[in-house]
Amino acid sequence: MSNVPAIDRASRFKAIQSEVVRALGALVIALAVTTIVVFLTSKAPLDALTQLFTAPAAKQRTIGLWVDDIAKLTVTGLAFSLVFQARQFAMGVQGQVYIGALASSYVVLSPLGETPLGLALGVLAAMAAGAFYGFLPGIAKARLGANEIVSSLMLNYIAIELCNFLVRVSLPKPQPGVLTTIDFPKISVFPALVANTRIDYGLIFAIVAVAVVWFALYRTSWGLKLRLVGHNARFAEYSGIRSTFIMVSAMTASGALGGLLGAMFVQGQTWGKLTVQFEGGLAFEGILVAIVARARPLAVPVVAIFYAYLRQGAALMNVRTDVPAEVIGVVTAIIILLVSSTFSLNFITRLFKRAPVPVAAAAGSAAK
Amino acid sequence: MALLEAIGIGKTYPGGVVANDGVGLVIEPGEVHAVVGENGAGKSTLMKILFGIEQPNAGTLLLDGKPVSFASPRQAIEAGIGMVFQHFSLVPSFSVYENVVMGSEPRNGITFDRKQAIAEVQALSDKFRLKVDPTPPVGTLPVGQQQRVEILKALYRNARVLILDEPTAVLAPQEVQELFVAIRSLVEQGRTVIFIAHKLPEVLEISDRITVMRQGKTVGQVKTSDVTEKSLAAMMVGREVTLRVERKPTDQSERVAEVKDLRVVNARGTEIVAGLTLNVNAGEIVGLVGVEGNGQAELIEAVAGLRSVAGGTIKVANRDVSGVGVLERRGLGVASIPEDRIATGLATGATVAENIVATRLDDKRYVRNGLLDLKAIKANATKLIERFSIRVGGPGSTVGTLSGGNMQKVVVARELSEQPKLLLVNQPTRGVDLGATQFIWRTITDTRDAGAAVLLSSADLSELLALSDRLLVLYRGKIVAAFINTPDLTPETLGTYMLGLSTQTPEEMQVALK
Repeated sequence: MSNVPAIDRASRFKAIQSEVVRALGALVIALAVTTIVVFLTSKAPLDALTQLFTAPAAKQRTIGLWVDDIAKLTVTGLAFSLVFQARQFAMGVQGQVYIGALASSYVVLSPLGETPLGLALGVLAAMAAGAFYGFLPGIAKARLGANEIVSSLMLNYIAIELCNFLVRVSLPKPQPGVLTTIDFPKISVFPALVANTRIDYGLIFAIVAVAVVWFALYRTSWGLKLRLVGHNARFAEYSGIRSTFIMVSAMTASGALGGLLGAMFVQGQTWGKLTVQFEGGLAFEGILVAIVARARPLAVPVVAIFYAYLRQGAALMNVRTDVPAEVIGVVTAIIILLVSSTFSLNFITRLFKRAPVPVAAAAGSAAK
Repeated sequence: MALLEAIGIGKTYPGGVVANDGVGLVIEPGEVHAVVGENGAGKSTLMKILFGIEQPNAGTLLLDGKPVSFASPRQAIEAGIGMVFQHFSLVPSFSVYENVVMGSEPRNGITFDRKQAIAEVQALSDKFRLKVDPTPPVGTLPVGQQQRVEILKALYRNARVLILDEPTAVLAPQEVQELFVAIRSLVEQGRTVIFIAHKLPEVLEISDRITVMRQGKTVGQVKTSDVTEKSLAAMMVGREVTLRVERKPTDQSERVAEVKDLRVVNARGTEIVAGLTLNVNAGEIVGLVGVEGNGQAELIEAVAGLRSVAGGTIKVANRDVSGVGVLERRGLGVASIPEDRIATGLATGATVAENIVATRLDDKRYVRNGLLDLKAIKANATKLIERFSIRVGGPGSTVGTLSGGNMQKVVVARELSEQPKLLLVNQPTRGVDLGATQFIWRTITDTRDAGAAVLLSSADLSELLALSDRLLVLYRGKIVAAFINTPDLTPETLGTYMLGLSTQTPEEMQVALK
């Protein structure tokens, strides 16, 4: 790194700085709007806001929930970042989570699950199954031209319902009629890192995943090829990069992360068993994390820290006050809107200037 | 008084490309005014300024003698200017009449009055002899009719001045005649048409007056009746060849590329390259001459491995490369400088170093065991930035921040940092300033002098005449003439073959075909 010209480093720093300012600006605006909404709708707005902004850090137990959410949001954020960097809009993380959890459950509930290998085998099985499930929309796109958005979303439903079905009919249940499996053997459940919290091996897996994804993207030739395909697929083709291979492998690798997340749910302190609908929509939050982090793996956990705090704050506010957790949807929507549009901090000043209608849109294809 | 007048228009794009430099244009009411010039002469930029898509850096526009400035196409449309682009902006699934009235629909209370819309479109179509059925979806119509829909769209918005940007480029000959009928009826009914083109026979047929542009400047304005195709071509191309490049004598005995009976078919099934046979030897530059769209680009892409071939063979260094991927062809020593650096030649969001190493990701010097050697990559990029004097912050700067000339230098640096066996070049200096042009020419001839076979396509005849050892003229995917480049070969001579006005006999061609 020492031979990077100073101007190079300065410009990179400036770019990162402006991204951070943008993201924080979006957060502040979103929270301001949320505050207004809470004041308009709540009978005890100050109470609700106090819960939203302070409750997650108030007790050891809630900190545990927060950290657990950070780990999970990080992994799903990484999975989305990987496909977004290759400019593939695969939405299959949710399905991979369910398939991964199923694979993990079958391994852990087999005799293997009683052995010291159970924990690792469960995770590996989940990753392999998730990878396969990520591979499907990839190969369908490469071979048949199937749109990856549609196929991955459809595969999500198949995975959710398959999980539902297998929990009901095939996997061992503590008593008939309940929608969960029996508890996993203790030896195959991630031990808690901090006693009586949900902070478990999942956090370590998340940290390792950040390092691995960063290394793969920025230090391997596969990662460079993937990023070049994402920047300009035609250029990649012209350079001799097999872009279909890269595309399919990116979706497969992302699937492995989705599978890992599945194992983190069912083998973690959160559940320690498989149940229907265990994921509660968390997988899709990875889209927000990846968008705000601009698909950069090192930024993903940072965004996850903030976002997990908000999620937990909203959940606690929901339980303890008259404001529902859905309010956080306002925050999410505003942040995505601001971060993904060409928002900059002086946009408010521009709003008040009578700017001409953007020409590019009107001219359409003309500019090309 | 002139209807529309442009005085001293200047336009420099971010990145330093001067597209218009003191351009003047005078449009009289009720005329068909052609604007001609080679690709990159600045015609399109001028039209975009007239239509409010681009804002000039200098100069004034007068409409009916009063100064105007258009911040957006909407304002231009309100002032009575309409424009039809080469690439249409239609909604394919909407019907013809919906497309025409979209944005200013006739209303019946609060609902869209479809009956009236159909009637109005029908009336317009009859009045201006633009025959088109108002009801079918636009996507089902042939290109010629889609163009009529575009024209109707402009007329529906009461365009007094209609700008047609290379309208004949997409049309078959019969469709061209029908378009001309419509243009004549437009003019008869008091409308004014500005017609952009580079096919001279069409220009001479349809226009009343002609403005000629070259390299961002207006060369002159003439009455169509006063010029011939030859004199017009001379104005377009310019007599002087501005730069000459020294070429060393080389050993040209080794055959590097051999193309035989090559056929390339486009997505619509039209034959773009129709049985081409040519050879390129080591140490020579073979220039492909032709009006754009006569198969040059497709030939080069086919040799590079970027386009599938419908028939014939391509050999590089005595090896049949049909069915061989891009990477392997590069391994055989094929390098290529593509036509569009932003669309094909670069990943503008990636860094300079990443762009330079992109074609060498199987090279042990930069990648070992799948891991990038960042130090080596950076060192190589730094070296090339210096050697090719690319003006950039450093190897880690994003390519998108560079000027056009410097971007092109990044492409050239990547492709020519190692001596290739076969170099494919398409429009190497389009939109590049003079200094960078000279540098890129020098680099290409150096590569030739060092023994590379070079296949060069360019819309700029002076470039081809300055660089090539041999020149092959392509017309409709076939070679119609071949020349050994001598000082007395003129653009006018090439022009007659380019436009398909004459064809050499096989015997005449043989001399320069090798």
